[in-house]
Parts: sequence; structure tokens; C-alpha cells
Amino acid sequence: MTLLHARGLTYVYPGGIHALSGLDLRIRAGRRLAILGPNGAGKTTLLLHLNGTLRPSSGEVLLGGETAGYSRAALSAWRRRVGLVLQDADDQLFAASVAEDVSFGPLNLGLDEDEAARRVDEALTALRIADLADRPTHMLSFGQKKRVAIAGAVAMRSELLLLDEPTAGLDHHGTKHLLAVLERLEASGTTLVFTTHDVDLAYAFADDVALFDGGAVLAQGAAAEILADEALLKAARLAVPLVLRIGLKARAAGLLRDGEALPRGKADALDLVERLLGEIRPG
Amino acid sequence: MVMSSVGGTRAGTMSPVDRAAHLNRWRHRSLTEKAVLALGMLALAIALPPFPAAPMVAVAMMTAALAGARVPVMVWLACAAGPLGFLLVGALSVIVRIGPGGLGLAPDGLMLAACLMARSMAGVTCLLFLALTTPTTDLIAGMRRLGLPVEIADIALLMYRFVFLLGDTALAMDAAQGARLGHRDSRRRLRSLGILIANLLPRAFERARRMEIGLAARGWNGEMRVLSRRTAISVPGLALVLAAEAAVAVIGVLAS
Repeated sequence: MTLLHARGLTYVYPGGIHALSGLDLRIRAGRRLAILGPNGAGKTTLLLHLNGTLRPSSGEVLLGGETAGYSRAALSAWRRRVGLVLQDADDQLFAASVAEDVSFGPLNLGLDEDEAARRVDEALTALRIADLADRPTHMLSFGQKKRVAIAGAVAMRSELLLLDEPTAGLDHHGTKHLLAVLERLEASGTTLVFTTHDVDLAYAFADDVALFDGGAVLAQGAAAEILADEALLKAARLAVPLVLRIGLKARAAGLLRDGEALPRGKADALDLVERLLGEIRPG
Repeated sequence: MVMSSVGGTRAGTMSPVDRAAHLNRWRHRSLTEKAVLALGMLALAIALPPFPAAPMVAVAMMTAALAGARVPVMVWLACAAGPLGFLLVGALSVIVRIGPGGLGLAPDGLMLAACLMARSMAGVTCLLFLALTTPTTDLIAGMRRLGLPVEIADIALLMYRFVFLLGDTALAMDAAQGARLGHRDSRRRLRSLGILIANLLPRAFERARRMEIGLAARGWNGEMRVLSRRTAISVPGLALVLAAEAAVAVIGVLAS
């Protein structure tokens, strides 16, 4: 089922530069989508079109099959369904404490205070930051701010969550933690869409990839297919993910067993390499 | 600006006052109790004859801040140093006067200076107590409950938030200028400072614009409504505060 469909989006910055030119993108329910593009491709501009912040000069966005409008009421309904987490968490946090900040969205939905409080607790627990509830927002570390910003969106229980470069600036542990949280969130019925320039992340974490450059989606499809297309990636100034390249080489050399899947993450690739090493030097 | 505070932490510009206000032991006591204590004692210090009421207030409020709320002594002293220095200079000018025979002691000067010092000291301890035990945002929320218009409260809250964000930006820019020898001599330092300030304004606008996007994405419709956790007033706590104030009032009147 298509949750959101961007059709022929064109957007020109003041000054005449084309940010989007006839862009098409389909977001399907339950399919984790990575919008993959190099620096400066306009990924943020695209996301801001997907929640109605920016209005295209031509083209339209369809929500559940219906053209989305830009009236106050239509935008409010749009944001109820589509949540957005900006790259810089400081652009989203404003309240005195973490719990207060997370309650902002639920109260804007018109929920009563008891229900809003329940949503806050639930979101903080989901992000594993319940212990930070009373912390002032300016006393948080980078990673903590990020999680609070996501909790603020999660508490609104949107069906679609857009994340702008969610792992940018996070260390190894922070990234792992965040991806685990997003996975749990998905299990509760939220469709995830994130932007990234990191092909390895897109390959390890996304079901589908939309390759985005020059204001248009060059290709959209299953991650393993799009990311194996070297010529396509090169056109977008990107390269085939290392783990996938290892898997493809192993398969080309006939080293994969019948029906054995290509490695997805680094751990899979390591397992494969270890198995192959073991076969070379038995015992 | 202190370069060493630039570090990796984003809490770089958080002031010791703010830190104390958030981390003291009475952080979660109700605002009413703290405000009645601080403002009540302040009123007593101003209204009653300065001796012995003012010293009593000062001792009570220092005890409350340091022993009660466990505000770090060094933070308290650092905050008190400014107003105290100002007071000392003021008191000196009361003691001394320029008469026909040159510089001399003013008649009643010592007594006047003592009264002035005692009263002002008491006032300073009251306000320091409030500032060091109650975060700014709690004070804004309190004023809102007392009838401050929502719009003004929201603006105050956002200003408070932006002070930290822009402070961090300014610190980072200052460090970057220093790294490129922008502070080599006083002329260059002044020039760098000018550039820094000029750059801060467009950045502030840019940040405000992005925050508007961020808040709109969360369904913002013009009102900053959040769930605030209000601590219930503790009746014994409030009773103790009122009893202490009554004691100061009675002794202050009888023993003056």
C-alpha cells in the first residue's frame, strides 16, 4: 500500500537554482526506505516537501491516494500522519525539560493531559531515555538530544516517520542504539523513511533505496538491487557498499552455498570471511 | 571568553548559576514554598528595622541555600562577590564625606553604612537563594500562573533557550578565530569580536527559521503548550517557612 506518493515535484530556490525537477517518489507502508544521495543533493529540501513545509512550484504530494492540500487544516492533518525529525536536534527542542518537550506534539494533537502524559512516558521508554525526563534540554549530550527529538515525533504516533540523516554525528554505539530503537518503532506500525549519504548504512538498514541526485530520483527499488548497480551509483557520486561488494565477489567466485543470501551487515560479512578462511585452512 | 570551556560538550555555555538551579537538593520543592521563603524574607528585611532583623534574614537565607538546598559554597560565593563588592564601595562613600577640612568621617556615617550593608546583604541572600535553587523556566512558568500573558511567557522561554544555543555558537566561533590567530593582539581581537557579533545575527535568524520548521512539524499552531510537572506544595514545608518568617518578624520588632 502506498502511504505517500510525490508526483512530478519541482521546486526552484529563490535565485533560480532547481532543487527538485520533476521528482517522483513512492513510500510504501512497512518498507523501510533510504533516500540516498550525495552531499548537497537537496535531501533535506525533499523531506520538507514530504511533510508540507515547502510547497512545490509544480507537482503534487498524495497522501493515501488523495492530493494533499496546503490549508491550515490540511497541513495539520498532514503532520498528524507524517512525522519529521530534523538533522540538528537543537532545531526541534525548545522546552525546559525533556518530558515537557516531548509533550508538545501530543498536546498539539488535541489530546487531553492524561493521554499526553501516557504518550510521553511511552515515547521516553521506547527511546530508553526515561531517566532523562526531568533534565533540562540544554544539559543533554548530542546523542541524548537526538533521542529526545525522535521521542517528540514518536509521541505523536504518526504512521510515517521521516528522519533527516538520523545517524549523522553519532558514534558507533549511538548509531547501534538508535537503529535498534527505530526497529522497535517499526514493529509498532510506523513506516520509516530516512535520508543518508552513507551507502553502507542504506544497505545494512533499508529494505528499499531511492537514489536521489540532481533534483530527481534516479532509481527506486530493493536495496540489494539498486546498491549493486555500480554505474548508477557512480552517476550519483557514490560507490557500491563494501559488504555488498564482498558478497558479490564471493558469489561470482562460486564461494556462496546454494541459496545462501548475500551478507547484509558487517557481522554477516565477517562470518562469511571466517567461514571461507576456515575452508582454506581446515582445523 | 574562556577557551577551555569550548570542549566537546554542547553544554559549554551553561552557567554555574543554571547548573546549581537545576541540580540542587531543593530543585523539586514547589515554587510556591521557595518564592514565599525568598520574597517573604526580602520583604521583612526591607520593612523591619535593620538590626537584628537583617542579619537574621541573611543567616537564615544562607543556611537555606547552602545547608538546605546544598548549593555549592564556591558557586554561592562567586555569585555574591559581585553585589558585595558593589555594596562595599557604596558603604564607604556613606562613611566618608568631604567637609571644609578635607576628607573626614560623616556624622552617623558608620551607623548608616552598617544599616545599609545589613539590609542589602539580606536582600542579596534572598535573591541568590531563589536564583540558585529555581531554574529560570520554573520562574517563567510561575509568573505565567500569576497572570503573565502567554505570549510573553513563550517569548521569554524561547529567548532563554536561544541564549544557550547562540552562546555555544559564539564560543565555537571564538575558538575558531583564536585557532587562526585572530586574537594575536588587541587590535585584531577587537576586529575578530566585531566579525563574530556581525555573524551571530544572521545565524540567529537562520536558527529561528529552522526552529519554526521543527516546531511546525510537531503540529505547532501558535501556542507553546507543554505538560509541566508541578510539584505539590508540601504543607509542613510551607508551615516551616511561615514560622521562620514569623519568628524573624517578632524578634525583629521586639529586639530592635
